Amino acid sequence: MAITTPGRGRIAWRRNRSLIGGLLPAASLLSLFFVAPAIWAIYTSFTNRALVGLDARHPRHVGWANYERLLHSPAFKTVLTNSLVFVIGSAVIGQFLLGLALALLLDHGDHRGYRATPFVYGSVLLAWVNPTIIAGFLWVAMFDFYYGSLNKTLGFVGLDGVSWLGKAPMLSLIIVNTWRGAAFVMIIFQGALRTIPSQIYEAARMDGASAWQRFWDHTLPNLRQVAAVVLLSVTISTFGAFLLILTLTNGGPGTRTEVIALYAYHAAFQSRQIGYGSAIAAVMLGLNLIFAAIYLRVSRPRI
Amino acid sequence: MAEIQFEHVVKQFTRQATPAVDDLSFTVNDGELLILLGPSGCGKTTALRMIAGLEEPDAGDIRIDGQSVVGVEPKERDIALVFQQYALYPHLSARDNLLYPLKVQKISKQERQQRIDQTAELLKIGHLLDRKPGQLSGGEQQRVALGRAIVRQPRVFLMDEPLSNLDAKLRTHMRTEIKTLQQQLGATMAFVTHDQAEAMTMADRIAVMNSGRLQQLATPDEMYRFPANLFVAEFLGSPPMNTLPVHRQNGHLAVPGGWSVPAPAHSPMPESLVLGIRPEAIEVVPSGTPGASPASVIVSEPLGSEVIVNVTLGETMVRVRTAPDIRPRPGELIHLRPHPDGIRLFDKETGAYVGA
Amino acid sequence: MSAIAEERPRAPSRPATSEAAHVHQRIVKRRRQEQGTRLEWAVVHMLYLIIVLFFFAPFLWLLSAAFDGDAVAYIRWPAHPTFANFVYIFRHFHIGRALANSLFISTATMLLSVVLVSLAAYSLSRLAFGLKSGVTYGVLVLQTMPLSATMIPVYGLARDLHLRNTYLGLILVHSAIEMPFLIWLMKGFFDTIPRYLEEAAWLDGRSKLRAWWEVVLPVARPGLIVIAGFAFLNAWSEVLMVIILVDDPGKSTIPLAFYQTFRSNGGYNEVNYGLVAAVGVIYVLPVITLFFSLRKMMVRGLMSTSRGL
Repeated sequence: MAITTPGRGRIAWRRNRSLIGGLLPAASLLSLFFVAPAIWAIYTSFTNRALVGLDARHPRHVGWANYERLLHSPAFKTVLTNSLVFVIGSAVIGQFLLGLALALLLDHGDHRGYRATPFVYGSVLLAWVNPTIIAGFLWVAMFDFYYGSLNKTLGFVGLDGVSWLGKAPMLSLIIVNTWRGAAFVMIIFQGALRTIPSQIYEAARMDGASAWQRFWDHTLPNLRQVAAVVLLSVTISTFGAFLLILTLTNGGPGTRTEVIALYAYHAAFQSRQIGYGSAIAAVMLGLNLIFAAIYLRVSRPRI
Repeated sequence: MAEIQFEHVVKQFTRQATPAVDDLSFTVNDGELLILLGPSGCGKTTALRMIAGLEEPDAGDIRIDGQSVVGVEPKERDIALVFQQYALYPHLSARDNLLYPLKVQKISKQERQQRIDQTAELLKIGHLLDRKPGQLSGGEQQRVALGRAIVRQPRVFLMDEPLSNLDAKLRTHMRTEIKTLQQQLGATMAFVTHDQAEAMTMADRIAVMNSGRLQQLATPDEMYRFPANLFVAEFLGSPPMNTLPVHRQNGHLAVPGGWSVPAPAHSPMPESLVLGIRPEAIEVVPSGTPGASPASVIVSEPLGSEVIVNVTLGETMVRVRTAPDIRPRPGELIHLRPHPDGIRLFDKETGAYVGA
Repeated sequence: MSAIAEERPRAPSRPATSEAAHVHQRIVKRRRQEQGTRLEWAVVHMLYLIIVLFFFAPFLWLLSAAFDGDAVAYIRWPAHPTFANFVYIFRHFHIGRALANSLFISTATMLLSVVLVSLAAYSLSRLAFGLKSGVTYGVLVLQTMPLSATMIPVYGLARDLHLRNTYLGLILVHSAIEMPFLIWLMKGFFDTIPRYLEEAAWLDGRSKLRAWWEVVLPVARPGLIVIAGFAFLNAWSEVLMVIILVDDPGKSTIPLAFYQTFRSNGGYNEVNYGLVAAVGVIYVLPVITLFFSLRKMMVRGLMSTSRGL
């Protein structure tokens, strides 16, 4: 049997066939879970299906009605704004910057041989590794107005307590999401920092650059590529944020923290209008597809 | 340009058992190309980095132009270092790489441009300046790295095995180029390598190091002909010097296998000796020639302009350099005679040279 | 017998003690520069302290509340240290059953995932170029799809297919969620395994499948362990899909139990932080122990995904 490089000749084609066979089981599961639901959502979004009531038994085809309703709904505008604010605050500013700062700080501490460094690293990771609703729960307690740790500490130093989830819900959510997500950014940047050869810094030192100049001229530019990809990555994942917000504020007070995922959930399961909810979900999937395309273009993954 | 002095420098890294550099003392003269030669781990790179200021000695002094530079930041020392892997800034173009040290040192724009033009001309890299290091070949990157050093017009150039990552042909070409450059600029240069051929062809003087200690400091010629100890003798030369055990026999030194040479007159002589002789100092002679001994051929290596014959003399393997038409076959017996001027004697215990 | 030319450095007159002391001083100063001043040490460690407090404090609270009979919302040494909370939840919230379900589902998911992922990732890694990029992009796109969007149609589909409240449904869903990421990770790993291993086996007459099983997989073992770890962790932690798919208490899992306990006891109504925290500890413990024991491998796996870019 000849050894051929893949992609050439009949033997290669036969080999491809069995490889495709290897892909089939996973592919069918993924179709069942990703593709089929997407199709289901799109189909249902064109109906007025509901979970209970008349429309549950005999859903009607309503064309674009759900989408029109969505476009003209003032609630949706609020929802979009909230989502935007949350993503920018939590992903772009919070997770990205904090993650970068942590990576730089810990890398520096590592170079200096500070033995506390792995512990700090571990505690940041701890926040990330834990399930989302645990994080929600922990911070509900932290934010509690009368007995939460935050307000207690403020009281300790003589300041008034803040009604975190009441008066500053978006800020609170951003804090918690940053707390959770910074670790991912930190890990990626740490990986990138380690790929910069130390000889570059030595060369810069020989050329006369001070520590600050070395950082500005050599560390940061080499992080730029990774930064773009990481930023997109956290943006995409924050866009779909749901559980955290559900546990902390459930979209409230009122609709002040209602992001798009919650809007869909409430429409489908609280108002029981799964047709309308599907339309929102379809919009989310569409937006996500656009983000994914940009992400693929920017990241140029190795095939 | 300046001269560099090492005085009893010691450096030990915390996680190692022995010092990397142990009581090292030598001088690099103004305008000289001194090569630090030795096997991996001998301390030559550490010594170089101490001149650069990237490492500091634990004891001893390092002076440039008479002034101690210990504790002085690299940028204050006015020294340029060319790294083994070039360490070009990957995100900057070649031109920006050359510009960087000048910008950092706040040299005027005019002056910058002038220096870059000169350097580009000198190294023939003008057409490469707009490319990034990733788009350059190994040899081109190396010239840009050289350029980055030259552009600074430092008083001393340091090179850490800059040619090791190039293919053989390019390497030999660059050896001549760098040597010519050094002479043109009249630069004081300390060059580290583990390649003895490189050292022999390029150096004004060579400093051979082993295990952190200086073995010998001399011109290539001097060192090749009169190595100070066994280590130097076996390190230089390709193929290296042959070493044979000898024992005394009434005023003569006899090599098991046949040769007998007169013992040198002066005393004291150490108890056990080793005889060294270079491959080219052994003659292939017809059988029966006085002073010759038979040796059994293992294999001949024809190299075009000469032949290296590997033989067994007594119990030792010896390599002989002969004219290209002499091609004995494995198993054949040939007769070898040592040339008296080529005999070197070393103390078996310490390795030191004791006479000829 | 000629003289050996060995040069001695032109030694100046013996350096005066004060000069040697100067040199020594400068060495010390330089060394301190290298290792950072004490001020720097202090600043960095203060930052460290703030960071650890920020990231770790909530977990301290979790522990303090779980073991406290009179748990409160702020961090303190338990006023009434006890295991009573745990006993209570096992007895009244059927945590035992949820635990069993979670273990079963997580283990099954892990096994299913490892098989499917390794098969698919290997195939993808060895696939011919044209097809390979398309499928890889597909996998990457799937990876970005938000669960919060797919949960609605998954609910609908599961209801129509009668997969709600079934172990099969749960296992399939849990496996599917993490699959794109795991395939991508494992593919990267297979890419680093040279092809000549399987090619040698093919030359020996093995079928592709056997070659893969006998030769490639053993080499890929560290990667498979990482995959198994991630799969288990994610299945264990998964709550969104469970909320959607399960309303039969017999099929409840730990995450769901936690969510329900939280909603009825710690969320907005009565505040019994102790009970919720206790369930929380059970929820969180396997995650932490598993992750931190496999941490190095997993983080390296994660870092390698960034290097592939």
